[in-house]
Amino acid sequence: MSDERSTQLISPSEWRRPLVRFGVGGAQLLLLVGLVVIGLGPLLWLAKSAIMPTNDTITHPMSFFPHGAAWSNLREAWVNVDVGRYFWNTVVLALGSWVSQLVVATTGGYALSVLRPRYARVVTGLLLTTLFVPAVVLLVPLYIEIVRPPLIHHSFINSYWAIWLPAGASAFNVVIVKRFFDNLPREIFEAARIDGAGPFTLFTKIVLPLSKPILGVVSVFAVLASWKDFLWPLLVLTDPNKQPLSVRLPTIQSQTELGVFLAAMFIACLVPVAGFLIFQRSFLRGSGLGGAIKG
Amino acid sequence: MKSIRMVTAVAAAGLLAVCATAAAVGSTTKSVTISVASLIPGSTAAAIQQFNQQVAEFEKANPSIKVQPVEYQWTGPTFAAKLAAGTLPTVFEVPFTDARTLGDNGQLADLTAGVKALPYFSKYNKAVLAEATDAKGQIVALPKGAYAQALHYNRKLFVQAGLNPNKPPTTWQQVEADSLAISQKTGKAGYVEMGKDDNTAGWILTTLVYALGGRMEKGIGTHAVATLDNPQTVAALNLLHHMRWTDNSMGSNFDYGWSDINQAFAAGDVGMYISGSDVYTNLVQASNINPSIYGLAPLPLAKNKNAGVLGGGTLAAVKPTANAAEKAAALKWIEFYYEDPLISKAQAIRNAKTLVANKQPVGVPALPLFNKKQYDLANTWIKPYINVPIGQMKPFTTGIFNQQVIPEPEASTQSVYHSLDAVVEAVLTDRNANVQSMLQQANTAAQQAISNGS
Amino acid sequence: MDTISEIEVEGAALAAQRRHVRRTPGSWVRGGGFSTFVFMLPLLLVFGAFSWYPIVRTVVMSLQHTNLVQAPTWVGLDNFSRVIHDPQTPIAVKNTAYFALLALVFGYPIPLAAAVLMSEVRRARGLYSALAYLPVVIPPVVAVLLWKVFYDGSSVGVFNTILGWVHLGPYPWLQSQQWAMPSLVLESTWANAGGTVIIYLAALTGVNAELYEAASVDGAGLWRKVWHVTMPQLRGVLLVTMILQIIGTAQVFLEPFLFTSGGPANATLTVLLEIYDYAFGNSLGGDYGSATALSLMLAGFLALFSLVYMRATRAWSQE
Repeated sequence: MSDERSTQLISPSEWRRPLVRFGVGGAQLLLLVGLVVIGLGPLLWLAKSAIMPTNDTITHPMSFFPHGAAWSNLREAWVNVDVGRYFWNTVVLALGSWVSQLVVATTGGYALSVLRPRYARVVTGLLLTTLFVPAVVLLVPLYIEIVRPPLIHHSFINSYWAIWLPAGASAFNVVIVKRFFDNLPREIFEAARIDGAGPFTLFTKIVLPLSKPILGVVSVFAVLASWKDFLWPLLVLTDPNKQPLSVRLPTIQSQTELGVFLAAMFIACLVPVAGFLIFQRSFLRGSGLGGAIKG
Repeated sequence: MKSIRMVTAVAAAGLLAVCATAAAVGSTTKSVTISVASLIPGSTAAAIQQFNQQVAEFEKANPSIKVQPVEYQWTGPTFAAKLAAGTLPTVFEVPFTDARTLGDNGQLADLTAGVKALPYFSKYNKAVLAEATDAKGQIVALPKGAYAQALHYNRKLFVQAGLNPNKPPTTWQQVEADSLAISQKTGKAGYVEMGKDDNTAGWILTTLVYALGGRMEKGIGTHAVATLDNPQTVAALNLLHHMRWTDNSMGSNFDYGWSDINQAFAAGDVGMYISGSDVYTNLVQASNINPSIYGLAPLPLAKNKNAGVLGGGTLAAVKPTANAAEKAAALKWIEFYYEDPLISKAQAIRNAKTLVANKQPVGVPALPLFNKKQYDLANTWIKPYINVPIGQMKPFTTGIFNQQVIPEPEASTQSVYHSLDAVVEAVLTDRNANVQSMLQQANTAAQQAISNGS
Repeated sequence: MDTISEIEVEGAALAAQRRHVRRTPGSWVRGGGFSTFVFMLPLLLVFGAFSWYPIVRTVVMSLQHTNLVQAPTWVGLDNFSRVIHDPQTPIAVKNTAYFALLALVFGYPIPLAAAVLMSEVRRARGLYSALAYLPVVIPPVVAVLLWKVFYDGSSVGVFNTILGWVHLGPYPWLQSQQWAMPSLVLESTWANAGGTVIIYLAALTGVNAELYEAASVDGAGLWRKVWHVTMPQLRGVLLVTMILQIIGTAQVFLEPFLFTSGGPANATLTVLLEIYDYAFGNSLGGDYGSATALSLMLAGFLALFSLVYMRATRAWSQE
């Protein structure tokens, strides 16, 4: 926590005043209680209800195991609802999207920032324009393109490439990576060039190792965006075996009893929550945009 | 006719030749693989197993055909996406409402030749077969099942409310009264109406209107006139308004769709609701219903010569991009899975045995696809295997044949339903909903869709 | 300070060299053009295929009637006209604006206040951050489905049970035209506010402590310090997050789709949902022309709005 210094909005002398100490302290305590109830509460309810019999959850949702626990919910969720498979699909989709975004952002950012071809200005201009185009504009034509690709006469519906490749087209990623590369000291590049490094070596041996912070930010965004993705996988992945959790869960809700359904949702939360708790630092730093946006 | 017979004969001879060669050679010959719609997503393991057993049986009888089951459920919004993407299985299902338009648009394979060659072709119910015939007279699908709307009721809630479970309501006043009794004495919802925005709300409202003697359209095709705002529709909406706001007997959930209302009913939260007469299958396969609570009654009809019960059905169709071999294989599967159990004693019994072995329902009431004689005959074949509470369904099975079955609105059916969705939802969620103006808007929207042929 | 550094001299020489080199394929490769192109390739291919081409196609399709069976036909501005005259369009626009406004009212000041409080926490600030961010980590579909259970309108629904403890009557939540949209906003705020809190927190810790000291020396109390030091320093972040939030909420789809399918009676029908209905809602085939026309209209509006916003706030942020 060394980099989370207090802002010193409240000076030490102010802290000593009882009004401030109890007032602000009280507010902070209230905030903490609020965060626990609001932030953690729903999750705890989910965990509890995942192993409560459906009937109890429906008639007495806030009770605490009046008739014992129903561990079978979890088993049924795993076996019948097959949560594991859909979870795995979600992971595979996230991984591919992550790789796709990293490849496009790093190579593109490198080319635009370091190699600077003559057409860089045009490309950068196009990228900035794309940045201001909301995603909704792409939805329908992208769908048609996946269904009937212009040159290849084979639909990409139900192919994970239809999710991975478009994910790479994030202008935001390229812009922040390029900016980061712009801020790298040019002397290092010159020194490497003098030592005989070609563009590939420069990229792999110099630029990438220096870029860990920005790659972290891009990665956090990529994984989160993949988790949040619903509409696109809904449209593109119609084969149930290929669907991620986000698409599958709503489809089976009305065929699955509540207790089992809640158990499936609980299992779906386990890995992201666990991952977050473990990698908290990177998550939070990345999501704070690592200073990418200056005040 | 002669040329068709010749073509069929040649095709049959060709197939025989291929099979003979295969038998002679004894090695793997050219086998055809088709994908077929199986069960709706989330079906129980037992239901899936039963389906796979049928697949195995079919493949054994037809060694050159490989069948791949694909989970499938037709819903208004998702079908179009699959159609556009070309990801429908080779054999898929569509409701009566869409088949003809799809056929006209060239989106269903032409099965005329194969169908007319069927030995039982002449026994088909003409009205049913008409639903599968496009404007050019081509047969583009075969019927899977026909249903009439019916009133499903929870016998247990009836008893708890002091009502006689063997005497379900026969008039709409009785429905109102029974609904009130159930909600007051058991705390559960009495009569519940589907309110989801995916065309099911409009579908049930149309059913209600038919039962009061009204119609949603006059004429056919793109020249039809929308009559959504007829007096019976207003009466139906007033009935719902009364039950919802004055009696407060409709529970607290107004966005049920076809699947979730079944789920809620099986869980014992719904006293009565309207849906297709064949939903018992889904109640068993998806929600594991306790059979003793289930009761089936015919829809109460008003004393009006136009009052009738809305009938619909599902057809099995084939992708237009299927090649000749796939089409032939698909037709064979359709015959085996959908038609034979109704027309061939041996197959009916085999089918029933498989279903029973996997605890799947046998004997759920439906409307005849062939003539009534065939229907009764088929029921006697499977009588020993019936495992649904057929006694509790008696009010329907005896009453339905006295009712006039009316087909769904012919032009742009799904769009008509969709324009009614919002009206139903408004009446159920806003005490002061302006029914007249909403109906007029719905009528305009429906008329537009009809004129566009969408 | 050197007058001219060696690097600059070399750079000038290189530039002079380039000017005199004739561009042949050979020299292009030797000058590193080919490897540069190789590096640019992923970006060009991916953006070309999945970003620039679709944008062009949207414009084209909005002027055509497309049904995937026959070739598309040009229909001029018919699609735009149809969308404008569709009675659902004004409803969708109104609802989307309502959602964006509610989301701004709930989701904007509260995370800020929370972040300010959190920035002054002495111990275990990580706990606060983790709790605030937890809902963001839950897959959004799970969050919506979970809240759908919470929002059950019967008296034994989760929220109704809790409110029943303090004798507040059962509420219809998603089953009422008035309550539906606020219910959606409530869940959406829960699921997303954590991200905003973290962004604010990061910006807050970047405020120069000396400014606070100077203000204290000038005799400023707590409130004045917040108002005159913190807020101005945060201006950039605040403005950016506001416009980003508006653009994001204008495209809301998940909540209305999963919670209420746009109901009851179109009370939660948003512009994105209408686009989806146009393109994918008709079981006989989609009206892609109207869908793309509406997409363009929304994009145009957002672009205009962003421009106006940036002009209007430039004065404020460049003091």
